[in-house]
Amino acid sequence: MIKLEPEILQAVEKPARYTGHELNAVHKDWDGVDCHFALAMADTYEVGMSNLGLKILYEVLNNRQDTACERVYAPWTDMEAIMRDKSIPLFSLESFTEIRKFDFLGFTLQYEMIYSNILNMLDLAGIPIWAKNRSEKDPFILGGGPTVYNTEPIADFFDFFVLGEGEEVITEVAEAFVKWKKDGKPGGRKGFLKEAAKLEGIYVPSFYEVKYNEKGYFSSITPKEPEAKAKIFKRVIKDLDRVHFVEKPVMPYIGIVHDRIMLELFRGCTRGCRFCQAGTSYRPIRERSREYLRGLARKLVDSSGYNEMSLTSLSSADYSCLGELVDDLFSDFEGEKVSFSLPSLRIDSFSIDLAHKMQQVRKSGLTFAPEAGTQRLRDVINKGVTEENLMTAVEAAFKQGWKQVKLYFMMGLPTETDEDIVGIARLAEKVARKYKEVKGKWGVTVTISVSCFVPKPHTPFQWFGQLPKDEFERRQRLLKDSITERAVKFHYHDARVSVLEGAISRGDRRISKVIYQAWTDGAKFDGWTDLFKEDVWHEAFRKCGIDMKEYSERTRDFGEPLPWEHTTPGVSKEFLKREWDKAIAEQLTEDCRRGKCSGCGVCPSLKVDIVDWKRREGEVKASV
Amino acid sequence: MYKYRAQLTKGDEIRYISHLDYAGVMERAIRRAKLPAAYTEGFNPHLKMSFASPLSLGVTSDAEYMDFELTKPLCQPEIFDKLSAALPPGIKLIKLKPVKEPKPCEGKKHKALMAEVEQGIYEVVAPLIGDWDAAVKAVEKYNSAHEVNYHRVTPKKTRDIEVKQYMLEPVKIGMSGEWVKLTMNISITQTGSIKPAEILELLHTEYGLPVALGRALINRSKLMGQGKDLIDLV
Repeated sequence: MIKLEPEILQAVEKPARYTGHELNAVHKDWDGVDCHFALAMADTYEVGMSNLGLKILYEVLNNRQDTACERVYAPWTDMEAIMRDKSIPLFSLESFTEIRKFDFLGFTLQYEMIYSNILNMLDLAGIPIWAKNRSEKDPFILGGGPTVYNTEPIADFFDFFVLGEGEEVITEVAEAFVKWKKDGKPGGRKGFLKEAAKLEGIYVPSFYEVKYNEKGYFSSITPKEPEAKAKIFKRVIKDLDRVHFVEKPVMPYIGIVHDRIMLELFRGCTRGCRFCQAGTSYRPIRERSREYLRGLARKLVDSSGYNEMSLTSLSSADYSCLGELVDDLFSDFEGEKVSFSLPSLRIDSFSIDLAHKMQQVRKSGLTFAPEAGTQRLRDVINKGVTEENLMTAVEAAFKQGWKQVKLYFMMGLPTETDEDIVGIARLAEKVARKYKEVKGKWGVTVTISVSCFVPKPHTPFQWFGQLPKDEFERRQRLLKDSITERAVKFHYHDARVSVLEGAISRGDRRISKVIYQAWTDGAKFDGWTDLFKEDVWHEAFRKCGIDMKEYSERTRDFGEPLPWEHTTPGVSKEFLKREWDKAIAEQLTEDCRRGKCSGCGVCPSLKVDIVDWKRREGEVKASV
Repeated sequence: MYKYRAQLTKGDEIRYISHLDYAGVMERAIRRAKLPAAYTEGFNPHLKMSFASPLSLGVTSDAEYMDFELTKPLCQPEIFDKLSAALPPGIKLIKLKPVKEPKPCEGKKHKALMAEVEQGIYEVVAPLIGDWDAAVKAVEKYNSAHEVNYHRVTPKKTRDIEVKQYMLEPVKIGMSGEWVKLTMNISITQTGSIKPAEILELLHTEYGLPVALGRALINRSKLMGQGKDLIDLV
């Protein structure tokens, strides 16, 4: 057990990040369970504690009699320095046990820029960084989460990955472990990995052989062990009403990023935006029922004491019974001073009316995501939103009293021209002028936030070469110079980080060397702008003899094998190619939840169906 | 409105959370307890609650005081049990009393909790790293000094504070195992005070108290006004 002296805790920023004892944290007798699981996020306590997936898995694992699940996050740089200086190993926040004593250490893979922190945490824990160097006494290192659809760049650091939704498969992993342990650990470490590889959705990277062609490009990945599947499909929960959701969230003593209840309405989004990885990887839409959500909301308010609840999903306004659900929640919590919010809004007046109803109190600001500045480019990305939609929505918002609007855009999308960039400025200015028209005076702030497009695996844009950093920066300047209205404020992402993310997200196994080198040379917390060390990364690529631009800027051939195709969310390559062709032809694809099936391949290959309560009601009526 | 005063602890588990975080934790506890809490009016309603003197980060306490209001008069045992059951690790409810508001004809209202605080008693323990006699001498020397200045540096400003004006009694020294135990009785005024950690620092650096400063632990054992515990003022 690790005990931190007062002089250490007094010396660091926010010491409560390291002291645990939160309400609803689960403490089990170490020797009373067979399986010890540490769940980690390679980011700060405040970020890690806000992650919904970790909250769910924490409860799922702790609900098992034979398993104890504890938490660990990345220490901030001040604490890390002390830990290294005093040889304090990384420890868990429940029993303050050294992490290397656990059976499993599971990382949530939220974004590529935390990879260096994963290496840093392994090192702080005293666990060998390369999977091949681990011995019988080390924990199994696993990963899961959004970036799991191309794990090749970090494959050599992990023992296995869990693809897709974890509620069911994580318990299968724990079960397999307990059995293997009780059987006397046959086959040692590899013996367990063979058992794990038999489970659906589990990818054991060391069981595969990777080949590259004469040009140096990835050419194939093939199983070396009989248990390893040639293609691993993600796991998916068929009925979200029948799977455990958070009921007793661990309550932080200090403020965290999302310091409120998160009520997850549904998973999946089939609007089909062609740049969006979440849109392909969480398919199909599966809604929770209104009744189930009402029950969950009650439990969560009672167990947490929070007075704020966010109705989360990829596109919450698409929940088919949202109006009714909000009415239910308003009446259930009348007099309890609970406020509700939607994290994302659709660009229509239904969303505005709902937001108005929910934000009776604070009209802080509305956020919309037109994503591109011209109709042509919005058609390319299948955004399905017109300028008229946006104007109607903001008009409604201004009439309801909002005077701050934030608009999200992307830069560097396929086929983008300078006209599209200038279009962003023009659109924002029209929004600002709409306010004047509605209110008869100025007084609005329109903030445009523009990110640099990173092509992602398993999307229709997965073949597309990303723009070079200089070109992003030229377009950022062009946009800045195109804004003439004072009411329009411009924020943009750091292109240096985006091109690195571009290289890593479509990387192959050779990228692990680069990540290792960058970490060795001091890279960590790369997602934190003030800690990002661009030079260290460029130097790491150079030292490893790898051309970063081959990964970020090269447009892949449609026939070329891609290093991420064996770990799939179930969308077929044919579908992605079809969507690419339609993008170039500026043609739209409709949302399959109500419209025509777009043939993405997910439902048949995963044997799962859309769960849409409104559609079901319609079907019931039609059959009567 | 029905006002109550609670005496709470701040235990070792949460010694590193700030005063503001402590207030947030109590707000959520009252909500979990399902008490008919009174809220402020306005756009951003908050529980009507107030606290006595804030504690420094790292200090535990047996004497945290909180006043809060309910919209219905519940009997004391019901509130006590419900609130106790809803508290997180590190906070215990020691006492709870209704605050008797003076009748309108009697004039003035009850003073704000913060304004009632006049005095705090703290126990400081730290490992002895030298001679016991030297420790006793250091404390004696400090106690007999007429004037002691502390140079307080905060991110916003630095200033010198005369410490002895806030010492209500001489610092007492005792021994418990290898640990030196100091008791400090400190005056808390509307215009200022001195922190026990600051007195400890002075004792160590200026008067040669041989203790391991970095391992010192501080606990507030009492918070008083008019010579009584705040819970007994209602």
